[in-house]
Amino acid sequence: MSVQSTSVVVPDGRGRSFGGETDSTRVLRRLFLTLFLRGRSSRGLNRKWAPKSISSRLGWSLIFYGVFGLTALTFLRGSVFVLSAFLHAMTFFFVGVFVASSAGEVLFNQLENDILLHRPVTARALLWTKITVLIQVSLWLAGAFNLTGLIVGASMERGSLWYPVGHVISTVMEAMFCTGSVVLLYQLCLRWFGRERLDGLMTTVQVGATVGFILMAQILPRVMPYISDLDGADTGRAVWFLPPAWFAGFDAAISGQGGWDAWGLAGLAIAATGAVLWAAFGRLAGDYNEGLQRLSETSLARPASGKSGRRWSDRLASLFPLSWWLRDPVERASFTLSFAYLLRDRDVKLRLYPAIAPVLIMPVLAVFGFSRGGPGAAMSAMVYTAFGGVFLGQASMTGLTILQFSQQWQASDLFRLAPVAGPVQFCNGARKAIQVFMMIPLVLIVGLMIARNNGEPAQILLLLPGLMTLPVFSWIPCIKGRAVPLSRPAEDARSARRGLGIVFALLLSMVLSWTSTIAFQRGWFIGFLAVELVIVGILYALVRRAANRAVWPSIE
Amino acid sequence: MSERVMDTMNQSAQDIARVGENAGKAPSIIVDALTKRFGGQVAVDRLSFTVPAGQIVGFLGPNGAGKSTTLKMLTGMLQPNGGSAKVCGYDLLSDTIEVKRHIGFVPESGAVFESLTGLEYLEMVAALYGIPSAAARERIQQFIVFFDLSFQTLTDKLLGAYSKGMRRKVVITSALLHNPPVVFFDEPLDGLDANAAVGFKALIQTLAREGKTIIYSSHILDVVERVCDRVIIIDKGRLLLDGAPEALVAEHNSGTLEHLFTQLTGGAELERRAADFAKTFRS
Repeated sequence: MSVQSTSVVVPDGRGRSFGGETDSTRVLRRLFLTLFLRGRSSRGLNRKWAPKSISSRLGWSLIFYGVFGLTALTFLRGSVFVLSAFLHAMTFFFVGVFVASSAGEVLFNQLENDILLHRPVTARALLWTKITVLIQVSLWLAGAFNLTGLIVGASMERGSLWYPVGHVISTVMEAMFCTGSVVLLYQLCLRWFGRERLDGLMTTVQVGATVGFILMAQILPRVMPYISDLDGADTGRAVWFLPPAWFAGFDAAISGQGGWDAWGLAGLAIAATGAVLWAAFGRLAGDYNEGLQRLSETSLARPASGKSGRRWSDRLASLFPLSWWLRDPVERASFTLSFAYLLRDRDVKLRLYPAIAPVLIMPVLAVFGFSRGGPGAAMSAMVYTAFGGVFLGQASMTGLTILQFSQQWQASDLFRLAPVAGPVQFCNGARKAIQVFMMIPLVLIVGLMIARNNGEPAQILLLLPGLMTLPVFSWIPCIKGRAVPLSRPAEDARSARRGLGIVFALLLSMVLSWTSTIAFQRGWFIGFLAVELVIVGILYALVRRAANRAVWPSIE
Repeated sequence: MSERVMDTMNQSAQDIARVGENAGKAPSIIVDALTKRFGGQVAVDRLSFTVPAGQIVGFLGPNGAGKSTTLKMLTGMLQPNGGSAKVCGYDLLSDTIEVKRHIGFVPESGAVFESLTGLEYLEMVAALYGIPSAAARERIQQFIVFFDLSFQTLTDKLLGAYSKGMRRKVVITSALLHNPPVVFFDEPLDGLDANAAVGFKALIQTLAREGKTIIYSSHILDVVERVCDRVIIIDKGRLLLDGAPEALVAEHNSGTLEHLFTQLTGGAELERRAADFAKTFRS
């Protein structure tokens, strides 16, 4: 029997995305952009319902970034360099964190290997098209944020009509620099440490890159008061070490401001971007193929276990007081599962560690604020300490939210099949795993950093207002039974709604940090804690009640 | 579909008698001492065999024998640690892209991009092989009819919403769309209903008769016995047996390929163990 030709006609109107494309690079670029916008998996969705996809969420993100970009209006009376330093620092933060958090999944997706690795496409084409898509989406985000800044730069008192031109070019360079840097880090690690350790390395690289992007973006605005606006006066040395300042220098140079310093920074921006792209896509692209093949290998190595054959996490759960805390067998099973994934699963780790990195940056900024000296230094250090506490309080919520997503999400149907009334026990087991695996070490690390490096030992108490919110925040993801571990597709993790949630949490953090710092300074701290305790107690009771009533969310 | 399936089955019965017909044809696949190690463990150990064009080879082995690893190496997805291989005359290591251009592969995972519609997915695959749009659509039409795919579903639903069988049909279509001379199937019948499975078996026999080389890895041994001209059995990465199924069964006096397989791979005790295990369910 042979395959027969028939009269069935494929209509032209639908499924046209890839029709007519025969250049594999263009096909791949369309493919990865489509996958990025729609997400890589769906459950029972008809195409016409696709607005639940990433693209609609991305729309919200763009609106959010656009609104946030209105802050550029406050720079109307400043210099071009100061405006650009702010815009590039924030762009560096958004784009850098976006690329660092997306790159692992986009560049090294195991499922994708079975679909594409046996097709006639080169590793270089795969790498380049994926990077192009990352840069493209980065530029959308950067464009939305910088839109107001472009107008401000052209119309400000000391601005120039050349500013928008320079800023567009520098923003494109910045996006390429951020993306290239992350890819370069992956390639270098592959080359230096070998593919055997790729899984661990990817996590380390991602966390390192995220922390680096956040630090460089956060430090620049804070050193701005100490450097000139590049109008010929004293230029702080710090700007030469901060990439966002290089791109700001480019804007100043194109706008005819800042003299040789600006041109020097502009030259650095061009040279660094060129060098990073050349190394990442030219010199080391061959290593990418090796990394992809590594993902296709079946690992025969077993995770370490003790003499009894039990994992140490399992043994930990059987020790008092954990054994008592986990006396419910369903919670215990969920705890063990969550703990294993937090410890071993590359996919979960790649999302979790970069997300909690900002928690560790606050103490660093607190130390930086204190060591800088000056009249506002002590206050600044106290606010950052309080911020650190609030971030700690919310870190549990972040961890639990991230643990919901997995590439193996379909396996969680097992929980629905089990004879268990609702999802709360699974949520609680995961919540407890987050507390043990993440929160205890984080609290210890942040506490030690604050205690060792700040001038006033009592200042560590400023962590308390934030830490007291931890029980409430840790139960919030459980309210609708959403915190069932590994139960949602990994692609859903990229959600603008989550981004809006983070903004809300950030606003709350600011209010709590400032009010607790003022209370601390004025001697009302004990009273403040007492009031907070009552509020937190009420909220905790409400959240617990809602979580206990949760039913299984419907399968879409 | 049933009438066509019956025709197909009748035709298939004649085709099965064609054992050894391809002997003497130019080799389409040459595997020489192919080796793959994962850390200290050897997954494939100096495996060598040759497959002439137009032959259907059953590639068998117990779980963990190295079948999928071998297929991944031969499709350019994994780099071997030693040995060499040629597919359609192209060296696997130096002409990897040419090898990939001349093969089709249905992986065991049946992975697809779930957020594309079936049609989008197939058009994407066609474009990767440089098939012009009109020709791709013509090929897709042929497969739509052959597999009895719902056209509405193919154009309107994302692959994530497909049944397992539908998805498998799309994956098989994507492996054959560019008309490759060599096709590797890793558990291709997984998820297919009985009619589709019968149609598929007839399809691969027809493909072989037209000169295509088929490497067919499966655990469903009676299908392998009926469809394949030859079987290669490996265990622990090493070649155990290689020959025509009837000849091997006769030589080892096993009765069926399944018995031969269990004899060779240590599964002979399974029935007794199953009976013992069943006793543990008695209250």
